[in-house]
Amino acid sequence: MKARLIDSGNVLKIVDLLRARGREVIAPFCGRGRDSYFDTVTDENRAQVRLHLPNPYYPPKRFVFPHIERLMRVHGKNGAMTIEPACEAPPRAIFGIRSCDVAGLWHLDRFYLGRDYRDVYYERRRKNLFLVNMVCTDPAQDIGNDCFCLCADTGPAAREHFDLQLMDLGDGQFMAVAGTAAGEELFSEPIFRKGTGACVERRRAILAEVRKRFGTTTSWFTATVRYVSQGTILEKTWEEIGNRCLECGGCTYVCPACTCFTVSDRQVGPEEVERVRIWDSCGLSGFTRMAGGFNPRRAVHDRRNRRFFRKLAQYFIQRELAVACVGCGRCAAVCHGDIGMPSIVEMIRRAAPEPPKNEPAQH
Amino acid sequence: MNPPNTENIYLPKLAVLDRVVDDIPEVKTFYWRFEDPAEQAKFKHFRPGQFAQVSLFGVGEFPASLPPSPTEEETFFTIRQVGSCTSALHQLKPRDKFAVRGPYGNGFPMEEYEGRNLTFVAGGIGLIPLRSCIVYALQNRAKYGRIQVFYGAKTPGELMYLTDLRAWEKGGAMECHLTVDRAANGWDGHVGVVGSLFKKSGVDMPVDNTTAFVCGPPVMFRFVIKDLLALGFKENHIMSTLERYMKCGVGKCGHCCIGVAYICVDGPVFTYEQIKKLGEDI
Ligand SMILES: Cc1cc2nc3c(=O)[nH]c(=O)nc-3n(C[C@H](O)[C@H](O)[C@H](O)COP(=O)(O)OP(=O)(O)OC[C@H]3O[C@@H](n4cnc5c(N)ncnc54)[C@H](O)[C@@H]3O)c2cc1C
Ligand code: SF4
Ligand code: FES
Repeated sequence: MKARLIDSGNVLKIVDLLRARGREVIAPFCGRGRDSYFDTVTDENRAQVRLHLPNPYYPPKRFVFPHIERLMRVHGKNGAMTIEPACEAPPRAIFGIRSCDVAGLWHLDRFYLGRDYRDVYYERRRKNLFLVNMVCTDPAQDIGNDCFCLCADTGPAAREHFDLQLMDLGDGQFMAVAGTAAGEELFSEPIFRKGTGACVERRRAILAEVRKRFGTTTSWFTATVRYVSQGTILEKTWEEIGNRCLECGGCTYVCPACTCFTVSDRQVGPEEVERVRIWDSCGLSGFTRMAGGFNPRRAVHDRRNRRFFRKLAQYFIQRELAVACVGCGRCAAVCHGDIGMPSIVEMIRRAAPEPPKNEPAQH
Repeated sequence: MNPPNTENIYLPKLAVLDRVVDDIPEVKTFYWRFEDPAEQAKFKHFRPGQFAQVSLFGVGEFPASLPPSPTEEETFFTIRQVGSCTSALHQLKPRDKFAVRGPYGNGFPMEEYEGRNLTFVAGGIGLIPLRSCIVYALQNRAKYGRIQVFYGAKTPGELMYLTDLRAWEKGGAMECHLTVDRAANGWDGHVGVVGSLFKKSGVDMPVDNTTAFVCGPPVMFRFVIKDLLALGFKENHIMSTLERYMKCGVGKCGHCCIGVAYICVDGPVFTYEQIKKLGEDI
């Protein structure tokens, strides 16, 4: 991978270059207090784009998987009915996407583009998306109390799946690394200059130091993955977890690796209907309810169980090449019942498991 | 075969309703075809046991089994009216339009059963997904051993596909054993749960070299499985189709996922051995 240096004062010019290449550029901004959010860069707000800030809770996955997405429009009634697929995939760039979220997008890639069918809506948006990854280096700003990318092996510096990666070297310079040909193309611009061996050394030293500056949140996946996959977690443990779930669905909405959606039709004109898909959550009670009111996942803890089973079972890890958690810590931060990923992993690890069931229960 | 993967997997194709036939109360059979003959030709390669997603625009989309065998001329759905989409379909009249996409799911591996006896055990509208399989086997009669159908419903009036069952039975291509929970208006047949048919006098049920197909409400499923295992059926020779709330049918929305399986792509057909290992109650 090619690397270059760029002056701190020029870093936002990357945003300008991407905009000049016809891309809508999404970047992080600070709100009040800890609040931060991704928004489209305009001439007016460009100066407020922040390089160091807490990672927004509302994850950038919505730029490839919007919380409400139009799938198609249907015109007319019986006589002359036409179905017109919707397709909005503007060329976009996310500037300042964190390493955990880059891993999250990669997870979505494997899910929506893998297996039997490719999701064309996701694919079109994803193909048109350029990623400028920002390495988290500022322990006070970038790294939150709930971050555990070290445990998920996704950060603080992504190793792949970005177009361009930026890292603050702390001396008025950033190091830029190109991950794709499209990223490398930017290096022809005069704001970039050749790096030196000393910079590479400095990058390494900073990363080594940053790894020590993470808080106390850890997530020891290994034992938990084993218990979840073997089905040896006591019903009592799931119940304790379920008792703390308020069924708000928040954890799934903030999760960069959650993929579930529901589909709904809405009337938008006298003879016009549109079909949309909307983020959904396996934690909500309607998720599996079937005709006649039969719900295979009746109890709250069955539904909680579901989220963590899906993320941590060996079967899915093998199929998707990683646990479906990238260590961003968002669910830990938003959960009122303190049952985000790190807490669950800890609760399961500590609870004594059942002996492995060689024979599944008889029906 | 499944659609090529460059296609927009969520985009249904317009279909025209040809005629509607009443079956049992609240259940009707809807004969339809795609507006575009090319779509119809493509779709006709479905396998027994697969399903399709049916769209009633403005109301929604729902999964429906394909009861016809691919060897039959017409395409149709048999649908029980339970909620908004199924009611909207029930209100359609011949020549009305709706939309369909599919076929989806794994279907029954019919080749694997060649040379074996086939035993179908159905309860209520559980006969819908098995119909395709039965007709396919009858139309490839030489490839299979004995074919038996054990079918039960609450009352005689709720036994579906009755004309079909009678027609198939004629000539001895298969045996059909019916039962009801409650006899009514002149029913002189068997009364009792489906499993009670297995031991009825005069019924000779092969177990060796036999694959059983079980479809019906959860309670019936549990009892029938118990009976079949007691008779000596192997878990990997008991087949079933699972039903789950489905939104996409193509493995993306997450609604149908039980344990490690996405029913819409890994199923809906499973062996009982697989069902036991899914890691979640069915
Ligand atoms: C693979 C598969 C094959 C099926 N084949 C047939 C068939 O051949 N004939 C038939 O009559 N029915 C079949 N069903 C069931 C059928 O899909 C549901 O009855 C239908 O979706 C209900 O939709 P609705 O809009 O009328 O009900 P709604 O108004 O949406 O809801 C009424 C009730 O049905 C539940 N429900 C909604 N969608 C589904 C769903 N997809 N699956 C189960 N429950 C649901 C709701 O939660 C609610 O309790 C099949 C289901 C699956 C998964
Ligand atoms: S499970 Fe929680 S910590 Fe893991 S990626 Fe999702 S929101 Fe982040
Ligand atoms: S129905 Fe959407 S994943 Fe199976």
